[in-house]
Amino acid sequence: MKYLTSGISGLMLVSCAAVAAEGAGPVRIGVIQPLTGSVAYNGQAYVRGAKLAVAQRNAQGGINGRQVQLQIEDGQCQPANSVNAAEKLIQRNKVPVLAGAFCSSATAAVMAVAEKYKIPLLSGVSSKADLTEKGMKYFFRSAETDRLMARTFSKILADDLKLKSVAYIGVNDDWGRGGVEDFEKDLNALGVKSVMKEYFDHGTTDFYTLLTKLRALKPDGVFVAAETQDGSILVKQLKEFGIETKVFGVGSWATADFIGLTGEASEGIYAAVPYVSNMKGERNAGFVDSYQKEYKQLPGKYDASGYNAMNILMQAIERAGSDEPEKIRDALYRTDYKAPNGRFQFTEKGEGYGFDTVLVQIQGGKTHVVTQARTEKP
Amino acid sequence: MKIQRTCLSAFMLLAAALPFIVSDQYILHVAIIVMFYAVLATSLNLVVGYVGEFSLGHTAFLGTGAYAAALLSTQAGWPMWATIPAAGVCAAVMGTLIGAITLRLHGPFFVIITLSFSEVLRLIANNWVAVTKGPMGIAGVPQPAFLAQIDTLAGKHFYYAIAWSLLALALYLAYRFVNSNAGRAAVAIRENRYVAQSVGIRPLNYSMMALVLGAFLSGAAGGFYAHYISFVGPEMFRFAFMVTMITMVLIGGKGTLIGPLVGALLVTFLEEYLREAQELRLSLFGLIVIAIVLFMPNGIMGFVSRHREKREQNQASPLNMNVSATNRRSA
Amino acid sequence: MELLPQYIANGLVIGAFYALSALGLTLILGLMRVVNFAHGELYMVGGVMGWWATARLGLDFFSGLLLVAVVLGTFGWLIDRFLIERIRDQGEEPGILLTIGLSIFLANTALLLVGTAPLKIESPLAGGPLFIGPIVLTKARLFAVAVSIALMIITYLVIQKTRLGRAMRATFQDPMAAKLVGIRTANIYAGTFAMGTVIASMAGMLLGSIYSTQVSIGGLVSMKAFVVVILGGMGSFAGAIVGGLLLGLAEALWGGYVATGWVDIIGFILVILTLLFRPYGLFVKRAERA
Repeated sequence: MKYLTSGISGLMLVSCAAVAAEGAGPVRIGVIQPLTGSVAYNGQAYVRGAKLAVAQRNAQGGINGRQVQLQIEDGQCQPANSVNAAEKLIQRNKVPVLAGAFCSSATAAVMAVAEKYKIPLLSGVSSKADLTEKGMKYFFRSAETDRLMARTFSKILADDLKLKSVAYIGVNDDWGRGGVEDFEKDLNALGVKSVMKEYFDHGTTDFYTLLTKLRALKPDGVFVAAETQDGSILVKQLKEFGIETKVFGVGSWATADFIGLTGEASEGIYAAVPYVSNMKGERNAGFVDSYQKEYKQLPGKYDASGYNAMNILMQAIERAGSDEPEKIRDALYRTDYKAPNGRFQFTEKGEGYGFDTVLVQIQGGKTHVVTQARTEKP
Repeated sequence: MKIQRTCLSAFMLLAAALPFIVSDQYILHVAIIVMFYAVLATSLNLVVGYVGEFSLGHTAFLGTGAYAAALLSTQAGWPMWATIPAAGVCAAVMGTLIGAITLRLHGPFFVIITLSFSEVLRLIANNWVAVTKGPMGIAGVPQPAFLAQIDTLAGKHFYYAIAWSLLALALYLAYRFVNSNAGRAAVAIRENRYVAQSVGIRPLNYSMMALVLGAFLSGAAGGFYAHYISFVGPEMFRFAFMVTMITMVLIGGKGTLIGPLVGALLVTFLEEYLREAQELRLSLFGLIVIAIVLFMPNGIMGFVSRHREKREQNQASPLNMNVSATNRRSA
Repeated sequence: MELLPQYIANGLVIGAFYALSALGLTLILGLMRVVNFAHGELYMVGGVMGWWATARLGLDFFSGLLLVAVVLGTFGWLIDRFLIERIRDQGEEPGILLTIGLSIFLANTALLLVGTAPLKIESPLAGGPLFIGPIVLTKARLFAVAVSIALMIITYLVIQKTRLGRAMRATFQDPMAAKLVGIRTANIYAGTFAMGTVIASMAGMLLGSIYSTQVSIGGLVSMKAFVVVILGGMGSFAGAIVGGLLLGLAEALWGGYVATGWVDIIGFILVILTLLFRPYGLFVKRAERA
């Protein structure tokens, strides 16, 4: 018995000694994304975009002659697992930068770890506005925040759709709730009444009860914050229910997958997204081309986030000229990255701005850009 | 009993020595997680192993403790050495409430009602946004102030020490419970409820004691977790957490004190090393669980002790055989 | 309230689906006393296989349904014969842990094979709205309800009118006596598990055609099925149906009049209340069962 426990503890010691010393080999970038679990679908899209960026860079010779290597861990969008993954990447794999962790709550937890170890963390997806308000010095965000989207598009939506009353539906997690609140605040300020605010749990398949309430209230518009999986079912049922109201929302709405799942029910839906494959932009055509060649499908919002995040990091490492986290962090502040969807720059708080976001409408199974707007420095 | 004590002490000594040998923070992190799970598994073992009822609601206590600690430290500014015991107490109160309702049931009914309680708490945590901040969770649970001054390795050592102390406390309390009259009464209830009642043992009292003690320990562990990970959300109540706990108890061997330790070690290692297998990781885990159930139903410790019993039976003469077997049977 | 008829309609439709998906579980739980945590995953595998049959193999809906039933039935039989048989006499813990392990394995292997994206199964009927008075439904839903009812009737007839059904009921009442009169109880158990699996997987495919099928839904389906089984009483056929309808109605009304975010809680509260006051189910008169 004693031997059993000593044996196992001995194994632990041996394994730590077995971590070989790494020389000046490839540049390692740590990535924490949900590869399993309910948002794995989107996490995997991010990883696809990231891998494409790295492959392109490596084909051009890497960073200062060194190849780039992604070290990907599954954070499952859970704070605890993401923290575990972060610890492993920082301690074991000794990565000088981190990218992740998709969900704002997981990112918040990893942020604390990154701050403790003084490793820069870039989030390409987490959209909760207060992440950059926590006074963290090692956190950067290259994603749109719902607050930004709300500010940019509320007026356009209210005017174009002639909204006087709106019903809000959101998925019951931090992102859904945040999105609903941000848009509600801005629309209310424009004089639009909110008639309903309801949340549904991730994984809900039957929205009829919610839709019953919605139909009875007869709003001018319906705002939805949902991702592909739940959103597609909701939209299908909306049309099944005979609701003809205008629908607009945030989330991965304009992707080919979403349109495929919803079929004709997606006709006429508005989406405020940071990226669609048919956005205007000189570099976008090239990006869409190479993405399609590699993965045989059109890129969506998360693919673009992964792609952009990796490029930002790689450019920063190149600018820093070294592997040291401190230098990389300083280089990140000087970012001026020319992305498929505009330019990316960071404020002193690490908030990204300067990139384009679009309001699209789905017509005939394709996204049609209604407005494209540049995000201003907050 | 003596062998138990020796083994437990040996393990704890080894664990205490670890930080002085290893300075890889990742290994220390894994070790802290192992000890955290060991506390949980020990507390669950009190219910599953000694009372004999299969509880799937243990996350209720873990989550209650975690939220209690998080709320007390973020809203009321309590320091860590106060929140962890307070977390344990809150969870114990929850244990009393839940126990009063659920311990009247047995078998599959107990399983489902404990599961339902966990789920109800999870849904409350997820929806009562005013207090628990719903799915956003409570972030930024404060660390003790002096940690910012010292370097991260020393910080890790600090948490390691706390986890170690919690585990030592858990093992000590469990050991005292098991080897007391209360523990023996619980075992009697587990073996044969009706006979136990016929000798004057009130099942409800003793199962309640085991449950409340288990709740206290997991609540304290939850409080520790809140400070260590610095984030608490409704996922603390999730079934997946429960699955990990119950797997540890059953793989290690329920009804023994060392079983949960072995289980915690093995399962944590399994999960970390299976990371290498990337996508196959969880499928393999499922298969391993099935294999353990089929081939080692009493867990590893059960397997080991049966092995030893058989060896003793072969070696001992018929006269001595009965005596040594009786000694072996207590826990 | 003008919305009430719609809520009731919603509740009855969902309730029928809950009843169908719980039917398999109640048979297994009631007859074999195995708390089958893999139930939701079997449902999910049925849905995934249904998608594969219709989208990849190009079969029409009914042939796909038949294929799913046959394949999953065999699978269920094998699971019982080779896994559950070995732990049958050891109380319910090993069963729980075994089925939990099985559910983890199934869920993640399916994830590897099919990916995370939601999959669409083509329903044989259109999805447009159908207005019956003030109530909105769709043809696809009505169809699914009709098929569910048909399946329930078939299962009922099998249990009550066939030899297999009689043998099952005999084994349920007293396994020893059943063995004494020559019933091969091992086969009966395997057959019951197979039947439960078939119903679950067909439900998965059927409901997949209305919503969509996804690898991660197993857990939720299991929970809801447990709720229904407890409400209706373990092993009670009628109980599963009434329990399902009851849960559906309760959720629809609660969601409609209180808030949709809290909908799932109602099921668990009902379970707790039922287990406190009527642990054998709301409708079971006899207190003692096997």
